Amino acid sequence: MRAIDYAFRQGWASLRRGGGSTLFAVVAIALAMSVLGGLLLVTWNVERLLARWTTSAEFSVYLRDDATSEQRGVIEGLVDQSGAAAGREYVSKEQALVRFRSEFAELASTAAGIGDNPFPASIEVRMQAAAETDGRADALLKKVATLPGVADVRYDRAWLAKVGAGLDALRRAGGVLALLMAMAAAVTVAAVVRLGLHARREELEIMQLVGASLAFIRGPFVAEGLLQGGFGAIAAVLLLWGGFTVASASWGPQLTAALEGVDPQFLPARFCALLVAGGMLVGGAGGFAASRHAV
Amino acid sequence: MITTHRLSKLYGRGLYALRDLTITVGKGEFVFLTGPSGAGKSTLLRLLLMKERPNEGEIIVNGHNLANLSRSEVQEYRRGIGFVFQDFKLIQRRTVLENISFVSEVIGVAPAQQRRRAFQVLKWVGLQHRMNAYPQELSGGEQQRISIARALMNDPALLLADEPTGNLDPDLSLEIMNLFREINAGGTTVLIATHDRELIRLVGRRSITLDQGRIVEMAEGHASVTA
Repeated sequence: MRAIDYAFRQGWASLRRGGGSTLFAVVAIALAMSVLGGLLLVTWNVERLLARWTTSAEFSVYLRDDATSEQRGVIEGLVDQSGAAAGREYVSKEQALVRFRSEFAELASTAAGIGDNPFPASIEVRMQAAAETDGRADALLKKVATLPGVADVRYDRAWLAKVGAGLDALRRAGGVLALLMAMAAAVTVAAVVRLGLHARREELEIMQLVGASLAFIRGPFVAEGLLQGGFGAIAAVLLLWGGFTVASASWGPQLTAALEGVDPQFLPARFCALLVAGGMLVGGAGGFAASRHAV
Repeated sequence: MITTHRLSKLYGRGLYALRDLTITVGKGEFVFLTGPSGAGKSTLLRLLLMKERPNEGEIIVNGHNLANLSRSEVQEYRRGIGFVFQDFKLIQRRTVLENISFVSEVIGVAPAQQRRRAFQVLKWVGLQHRMNAYPQELSGGEQQRISIARALMNDPALLLADEPTGNLDPDLSLEIMNLFREINAGGTTVLIATHDRELIRLVGRRSITLDQGRIVEMAEGHASVTA
């Protein structure tokens, strides 16, 4: 406990003595954490949109025009018994035509010229979110497609998967970039801490000669790195928050529209805490690397 | 207290700082190591402080063979040794009190105990009134007394000093030597490296003269015997 207390007191003193070089290290960490935080902010909001799309996922079972009510009953029974559906709705040919006219008003005149109603009756099935991941949705889909009276089954999940994959790729690329920047920040911290270490060379020699333990000798440098990292990450969070506030005030409606009605939100507290912890980890790693030169 | 057996320290090719050195310093003894520059005095002190390792031979201190000590045992061993250097090695940005209590602080001594002991040793060297001064505000003699006070902080069984009067005038040198004599009177073993033969004569304690890493003379008090 005394070693920790000593490490943070000395680390803090060294941080204050460092002046410009300390500021340089803090800025390096702030930049790295801003990239990581910015990436988290974007993916966090896109994931919220994806989650909304996923929970409102539906598949449509289009019925043949000659499908009997018994065949429809079998299909509905299978959907109900599967346990994968959150609800279902039968849309008759007439209802499909009305829906088309209201949703595509500009094409209503085109539809009016068509003699027979070309729209098929359908059963729209709303899936449970869990059924998406455990494969029950796919299994139900395959069974329904083979039933008599079914003309087609549309379960347009491919684009959702593509968005998800795109998001994963963005996350990976951003992660690599953030990792590289974090490594560069750690090297910067190590260099700055080493400057302080050289200034304390005589003190370190005395510490070794009086039998100070490694925790006392190296601890202050690790603590200095942790503090630099923590301050850098806090600066990054504040920077992101400022940027987010300005963006929300300036382009709030456009952002909401881009997210299909989902209001953009700033990172939750747990993510901010993770960013600060990450910054401290990067700084601590730099400080630890530098402290190896203390003995 | 200290026994070295056929101790050798080699720097570079064939350049011996110490060669086949066998000496014994008893518990509670006051011994001078003397000789010209490069004789090996400072090397022996560095080996005793475990700042360096010998190439051959062994060092036994208080029954412990230094070659067999683990890292934590080395730390424990060093806590029982006080050291004084010619250039004082005081930390310029710390006050006198901080310089002294620092050596206890970094081995985990409780703050209250650190302060109590620091006041005690400062009073003992007669500099309690300068406890808030910085080293650069002190004279050379005062700085060396602070350095001695620091060496006493952890109540060492062995005190090593490397040319402790090298930067001081003769009067101050004698004053510092008197401090060492008082420390020795309290039971601490004292080993001082100095090239000042006049000082050794005045203090009148056993001396070991080295030259080119070997013992060339052993003297008991004023009676000098050539080896």
